[in-house]
Amino acid sequence: MESMKDKAAIVGVGYTPQGKVPGRSSMSFHIEAARNAIEDAGLKIGQVDGLLMQPPMAAIGDPMVAPAYLAQKLGLRVRFMAAHDVWGASAGCMAQHAAWAVVHELADYVVCTYGENALSGTSEYGAALNGGIEYGMFGAVAGYALAARRGIYEFGAGPETWKEIAVAARKWANLNPAARYHDRPMSYEDYYNSRLIVDPFRLFDICLISDGGRAFIVTTAERARDCKKKPVYIMGMGQDHSATNAPQATHLAGPIGAKVSGEEAYKMAGVTRKDIDACEIYDCFTYTVELTLAGYGFFAPGEGKDFLKAERLAPGGDFPVNTSGGQLSEAYFQGFTALTEAIVQLRGEAGKRQLGAVTKTREPEIIMVSHNGGVLQTHSTLILRR
Amino acid sequence: MSYEKPLPIIDEDNAPYWEYAREHQLRMQKCAGCGHIRFPVSLVCPRCHSLETEWTKLSGKGKVYSYVIYHQAYHPAYKDDIPYAVAIIQLKEGPRMESNITDCHMEDIEIGMPVELYFDDVTGDVSLPKFRLGEGG
Ligand SMILES: [Zn+2]
Repeated sequence: MESMKDKAAIVGVGYTPQGKVPGRSSMSFHIEAARNAIEDAGLKIGQVDGLLMQPPMAAIGDPMVAPAYLAQKLGLRVRFMAAHDVWGASAGCMAQHAAWAVVHELADYVVCTYGENALSGTSEYGAALNGGIEYGMFGAVAGYALAARRGIYEFGAGPETWKEIAVAARKWANLNPAARYHDRPMSYEDYYNSRLIVDPFRLFDICLISDGGRAFIVTTAERARDCKKKPVYIMGMGQDHSATNAPQATHLAGPIGAKVSGEEAYKMAGVTRKDIDACEIYDCFTYTVELTLAGYGFFAPGEGKDFLKAERLAPGGDFPVNTSGGQLSEAYFQGFTALTEAIVQLRGEAGKRQLGAVTKTREPEIIMVSHNGGVLQTHSTLILRR
Repeated sequence: MSYEKPLPIIDEDNAPYWEYAREHQLRMQKCAGCGHIRFPVSLVCPRCHSLETEWTKLSGKGKVYSYVIYHQAYHPAYKDDIPYAVAIIQLKEGPRMESNITDCHMEDIEIGMPVELYFDDVTGDVSLPKFRLGEGG
């Protein structure tokens, strides 16, 4: 396969008001995020000729939430367009597909969007993800908690490791004014005192549900040099989607798609895990972070307990993870949370949470970004550099 | 008293599964090409793509593969049920399925424990295959 190393870049990011933002449609967040990403990149409306959108969960089957409507509302005339749904892995997969599209001249600039009024609207997040509603299996939490219990049994996963992931994310959120939990610190005691929701998961093992949207723009490396902001190059990429549903899956305790897609991404980028300065990991649940980092080879299964310490993952640590607070403590945007944070960090625009001297961490040259969907059924890896 | 909890979503594909359940039989599709028992329901065998299947009857014996305990009622009809157990059951014949483990203390459930099938007639039309902790293996 042709190497895509450094051939495409991300040149714009768009944010919206986030958290609890009542009175807004999901589509309005797509529109605003896309608009802001186009402005951030310094592009004229007429230059954007590609569009990928991840439809909000509650809108699946809603004919009014479609990419052509989004293009229409943004005044775009495009030659590359699709609704794109690989569940929580969509953001990373979109970046990859957009990269292929621009390199092969299907489009010059592809805007990729997500938006949902998931907190204030008619959310589907409490619905059964893979069936099982007749057994009281509500939400994605059912499948992930079943996976996590298997992880406890097979290799000693559990709250001892998960508390480190949750507390570190909160410490980063405390530096991010846009984060849901910006003003609320979390101690280990707070973690253990948070109530059991679906045992083995406590409240603080579980991501937020948020209103808002995010967008980013992909173009070729050559075009990227003429954009307003510093480009963030896609060094490496990979995808691995086992697709198997939770009961039949053999990966509930890993290895998940992080392993195969991570190896591909390392190979393309020509780097090893030692070159990674920070990780932005899809964190629907704390356990997902443990499985993903194990898949990327940072530690062997069961050694997360020793490797993942909050003082390492948190500000000031030597292995920064989820530097916005992530989906556990900032906001949940189907993984756009992780990808946009990596871009902002690599550009040096992260304010008080900026990697490098500000937070006494390594200067960020290379950041690894994961996306994961279904019940560990889809996975995308990106290695980004400035 | 009417049954207020969500019922299974029965469609054209999985209707036979639920019809057998109503007759208190746990039946799944067994591939006539390679013998693989698949679940959930699908038109083709995921191993060999054969279209030929028979609905084979399962013993209902199995073991706990994984389990969780709901402490939050996401639906009002579950308010009096919490804490309740959702599990993945490893069936003796190969496939695994999600279900409930009932009639036991939640803290008694462990991975690997033997379980036995029973049917919960939740409405006149729907019977849910569920499990209780069983004897031996
Ligand atoms: Zn077969």
